[in-house]
Amino acid sequence: MFAVLPTMKIKYGVERFVFRTLGALAVMLGMTLAGVTIQAQGTRAADVKLSAHEQHMIDAFNAHVRDYLKQRNRVSRKLPKLSREATPEQINAYQKSFVDALRAMRAGTMPGYIFKPEFAEYVRTTIQTEFPVRDRVEIKQTILEADTKGVPLKINYPYPEGKEFTQIPPTLLLKLPQLPKEVKYRFVGRHMLLVDTDNGLIVDFTPNALP
Amino acid sequence: MKRTFGSVLGLTFFLLFAVNSGLQGQVRSGTSNGNARGAHAASAPVKITLPLKKGSVRFAVIGDTGTGTSQQHELGDILLGSRQGFPYEFVLMLGDNLYGGETPADYKNKFQDVYQQLLDGKVKFYAALGNHDEPAQRFYENFNMDGKEYYRFTRGNASFYALNSNYMDKKQVDWLESELSKDSSEWKIAFCHHPPYSSGGKHGSDDQLRKVVEPIFVKYGVNVVLAGHEHFYERIKPQKGIFYFISGAGGKLRSGDVKDNSPLTAKAFDSDMSFMLIEIADDGMHFQVLSRKGETVDSGVLPNQKRQK
Repeated sequence: MFAVLPTMKIKYGVERFVFRTLGALAVMLGMTLAGVTIQAQGTRAADVKLSAHEQHMIDAFNAHVRDYLKQRNRVSRKLPKLSREATPEQINAYQKSFVDALRAMRAGTMPGYIFKPEFAEYVRTTIQTEFPVRDRVEIKQTILEADTKGVPLKINYPYPEGKEFTQIPPTLLLKLPQLPKEVKYRFVGRHMLLVDTDNGLIVDFTPNALP
Repeated sequence: MKRTFGSVLGLTFFLLFAVNSGLQGQVRSGTSNGNARGAHAASAPVKITLPLKKGSVRFAVIGDTGTGTSQQHELGDILLGSRQGFPYEFVLMLGDNLYGGETPADYKNKFQDVYQQLLDGKVKFYAALGNHDEPAQRFYENFNMDGKEYYRFTRGNASFYALNSNYMDKKQVDWLESELSKDSSEWKIAFCHHPPYSSGGKHGSDDQLRKVVEPIFVKYGVNVVLAGHEHFYERIKPQKGIFYFISGAGGKLRSGDVKDNSPLTAKAFDSDMSFMLIEIADDGMHFQVLSRKGETVDSGVLPNQKRQK
């Protein structure tokens, strides 16, 4: 606004003074309101109890994650154990067998089995309310910076080999429901994925989890 | 008071740094180093400036290596050649160990073939995961990760913490804090892919990572943090008493990416690829940074912060 004011052709000094004063007041009012908004948003601390609705949603999410773990562990128990000193051939063979068996077992599973639409809303709300503006911008930049073009938004498909993994900003990760080590949150653009750590299978996704 | 003390301590470290390394302020290497693409430097003599003290811990640091390009090979040759004058025992890998595919052929072309002579010489590689690395790399025999995405190992009086900065969840944060709280090593060195501080134009400082890990580093006296992700070398001015380095030009180069006059930079080198050699001895942590031509682009010695107090 200050940048615009000097370009206006006002003939008289009084009018210029009034205009500038009004402009400054408008900016100050805007900044004050923005400050109030930021402060109000910042009051939702991490240790604030979740609403009953949110708690119910997260409990259901955790239960579905546990269901998936039971499925994948049934599969993994039948596979030869991968050594902690494996060759690339062994790693690749293990991943392929794991993915193939899991895909067969999960054939017919529909998207949204684990991520209900409320989860995406929860993530968006968390980002909007738990972080000041600057952090929100950084979180979005970090997530959107990754080159994930070509990653399919399809469940039961492996995350494409060679595609970059979006770094999940730790500040955000610490505010999301904690996952067991067998699965990870990933982002593809604004969409959130749940991916199996060991074999890269896209277990589920939810669109537009990023505001 | 604490802040003043911290500032004085930080300034002291920086001055010691500058005196020891013969550097004052930001000295960016000129273009005279040039772009050495195509210049196979295997036969170039590598002059070692490290003290080679008896009983010291000696290692190399490479980052963002996994391309399989001739440039990676050329730098790999210098890494190999430097071992003749500086017999390091192991190599830290700062992530992006394999770009664009992880088939057995990728492991071979982008890692094994490049460093085969070091592997034959029983040099151990300890890897951290980057944003281009599948977590399954933790099972790879030559990355010595013991099946873990984050882990710790010790050598002499130094502890090394490999962190997965791509996925720093609560479990990892708790593990880091727990391990550090029990660690009485004289040197605590963390290495990961994303840099908490950086003057890079492409990425820059990872503020969200820093907010989570730096308070833990400070609380438990981490001395040095090594990171990659940025495809250049940068030594950061000490931050909160911690020495931060970026060494992410092991397989890729982002030429000219370091911002001019960045207040973070103590020394930067972004006109050729590079790696670090480090020696931890009684009198501090000595370092030397070598380019693909075998030229020393930075060197110095860091005092141990605990001893300074």
